Amino acid sequence: MASQSMTKTVSLNFTQRMTLAMASLLLGVFLVYGAGLANSAALHDTAHDSRHAYGFPCH
Amino acid sequence: MIIRFLLVAIAAGLLSGVLMTGAQELKVTPLIVHAEQYENGPVDNHHDAIRTAPALKMLAGLLSPISEAYAHGNAEETGGILFGLDRFGGTLMANLVTGAGFGLLLFAASLLTGVAITLKNGVLWGAAGWLAFQFLPAIGLPPELPGFPAADLYDRQAWWMVTVVLSAMGLYLLVLRPEIWAKILGIVVIAAPHVYGAPQPTDIASDVPALLGAEFAVAALATTAFFWVALGLLLGGAMDRAGHVEG
Repeated sequence: MASQSMTKTVSLNFTQRMTLAMASLLLGVFLVYGAGLANSAALHDTAHDSRHAYGFPCH
Repeated sequence: MIIRFLLVAIAAGLLSGVLMTGAQELKVTPLIVHAEQYENGPVDNHHDAIRTAPALKMLAGLLSPISEAYAHGNAEETGGILFGLDRFGGTLMANLVTGAGFGLLLFAASLLTGVAITLKNGVLWGAAGWLAFQFLPAIGLPPELPGFPAADLYDRQAWWMVTVVLSAMGLYLLVLRPEIWAKILGIVVIAAPHVYGAPQPTDIASDVPALLGAEFAVAALATTAFFWVALGLLLGGAMDRAGHVEG
């Protein structure tokens, strides 16, 4: 109850909101792709156990 | 303003990645290490490189099917863990990167759908992420141990990516849209990649014991469920403090 009334909001117009969404989406895809899917031997070996744990298709 | 929100999402993801690394050590990583003892085929020994000397690492990297098949004729990539980290360090770094990436994707989803992620609904957002990235793709491609038989890597990665995107879109239609047609379409979209079928290996024989595979599939899904719930709650709690985007 108290937390509800204290919830802050930030007003962004549609363009700003979509810019933020796209920036977040693209950066997120870049990071997840690099750690989980990129076909680099060094990235694969470093992220090996994580790739298996997250169920990324791997070798 | 944009940078601040991105940093909040990244911070929640990094923290979830740390928690994931701890959870992974309980069951998932020991099972991977155990399975590698059975993974002794002549071309699939590159996992040994992770724990052996640099010279052997280079050799194994050159012999590795990943390098041969995917270095595009460029033999510069020789594998080995980046920045001289040990195995645990590599896993921690990968989980930090993956966690930050998933945090950003979850935040992007909340912006695109216009449904704020809060501490209250964080568990549901986390569950949606787990369904889209873990459980629904696992129906076609269960989390696999090293040494498991599998179809062509490119085919599986393509199917996995398409399935993740369709699952996320399907969940949006099914859960967040009130119209009946949207809910039916959502189910169709979620089912489509499974009706099409995931790439399967032609030979399913494996040296890795089935018991380890069964334990691993459950452990991986349970561990990632923990990760996604933690991420949803942390991101929701962080957004409650940072301020929810309106407009």
